[in-house]
Amino acid sequence: MIRLDSVSKVYKTSARPALDGVSVDVDKGEFVFLIGPSGSGKSTFLRLLLREEVPTKGRVMVSNFDVAKMARRRIPRLRQTIGCVFQDFRLLANKTVAENVAFALEVIGKPKRTITKVVPEVLELVGLDGKADRMPNELSGGEQQRVAIARAFVNRPLVLLADEPTGNLDPDTSQDIMLLLERINRTGTTVLMATHDHSIVDSMRRRVVELHLGRVIRDDKRGVYGVGR
Amino acid sequence: MRASFVFSEVITGLRRNVTMTIAMILTTAISLGMFGGGLLFVRTIDKMKASYLDDVEVTVYLTEDISANDRDCTGEPCASIRQALESNQAVESVVFEDRNEAYERFKRIFEGQPELVELARPEALPASLHVKLFDPARSDVIVQEFSGQAGVANVDDQNKFLDRFFSLLNSGRNGTFIIALIAALAAVLLIANTIQVSAYTRRTEVGIMRLVGATRWYTQLPFLLEAVVAGALGAIIGVGGLITLKYVALDRILEATGGAIPKIELIDVLFPVAPILLGVSMLISAITGYVTLRLYVRH
Repeated sequence: MIRLDSVSKVYKTSARPALDGVSVDVDKGEFVFLIGPSGSGKSTFLRLLLREEVPTKGRVMVSNFDVAKMARRRIPRLRQTIGCVFQDFRLLANKTVAENVAFALEVIGKPKRTITKVVPEVLELVGLDGKADRMPNELSGGEQQRVAIARAFVNRPLVLLADEPTGNLDPDTSQDIMLLLERINRTGTTVLMATHDHSIVDSMRRRVVELHLGRVIRDDKRGVYGVGR
Repeated sequence: MRASFVFSEVITGLRRNVTMTIAMILTTAISLGMFGGGLLFVRTIDKMKASYLDDVEVTVYLTEDISANDRDCTGEPCASIRQALESNQAVESVVFEDRNEAYERFKRIFEGQPELVELARPEALPASLHVKLFDPARSDVIVQEFSGQAGVANVDDQNKFLDRFFSLLNSGRNGTFIIALIAALAAVLLIANTIQVSAYTRRTEVGIMRLVGATRWYTQLPFLLEAVVAGALGAIIGVGGLITLKYVALDRILEATGGAIPKIELIDVLFPVAPILLGVSMLISAITGYVTLRLYVRH
């Protein structure tokens, strides 16, 4: 589903490469944690998958997309197969919960019929049925992240990228969010989650890819956060 | 593409930044109003040229000697001057007017001012040859050839006067276009700036749109349409301004010239000026919007 083949990325403003010869292979339906300290290259990793950046060297494949080489006009197609969740939720403050989720479908031209059918379904999936008409600022952080996950998942992406999705949440709420991501993973969606959160990684016992200074220093099938250190 | 989505985005966009939108629309309106005024100038000048040039003649005034003694231009040198004019390639017709006829015409022209007519005597007016040309614009040839000839007092070219008159109108027209151009520049810069501000205030939305895989059209069309709608509103206000100006001022001013300058008709403003303004405005807004988005807004 995701394959990085000897990928390097050098930013013009920095002498040291953000990614240095990274090769990672993620199968369909896998749940992978991407860990490492700030500046280790996690964000660059995710940005390459979305074609927010182009690698300096190497090949990036997502599903059938040759991400680095594809024409610019096909980028929207790629991004429609990837859902994204962030630490800061990125909800639209002037839209209700349901509108926030619907927005993701409206802007890719889905018909109204589909939207009115799919949005309540996905809100139920994330446990927000009954809160469809609330505004984001009326919700707790955990609930806001659920809205963001609903928005990322509503178009049934093949891959869900989560960049520190629990970074702003307390441990209990973080657990709830992880359960939700697991549920989404069980639907067959590949989940790639960048995180600093030791306890979550340790408790989930999933595959862990650790980056350090732009290199993969560990790739464990059933890893914990701090092994060997 | 869902029209309702794009449409509602455009409306929110225009309302979000109301002061800027109004400035943009007004500047566009002023620029287009001036441009439309220039076009009306052109149209008026064309109309006047068409109606005046038909009547333009060169008048060859004859000396006192001929005026007093040669009543029908049969003696020399009048007959040979007339002969020379009639055989000239550029000349369409030549009409001799003796001083009595000149006096009659004078009386007709100044009917409204009897005190002036009373003062005039036929003896004060010269006899003349009225020369009509095939091409009034080429009157120079006649003026040069006949000025200073024996029997000719002086040659008067109405075209010369009209030239001065038209060059006055032309500079009016040019001035209008120059101001229109400067205002247009201001309008274009305002449009570019408004789009940048608009894109900036909506960066969260645009960011999300890009992430979920909206096409460039979806993310940028609202901004583009915002500019085009503002351009169209500017054009409508500009045309409205021209029509208002016609009724409150121009009609009265032009009427005061006693028909020397033809009135501007409503139809002149509505067609072709109004559609030209609308088209030009929307086109320029769209181009400005497109270029701005290309240069400043990352997709």
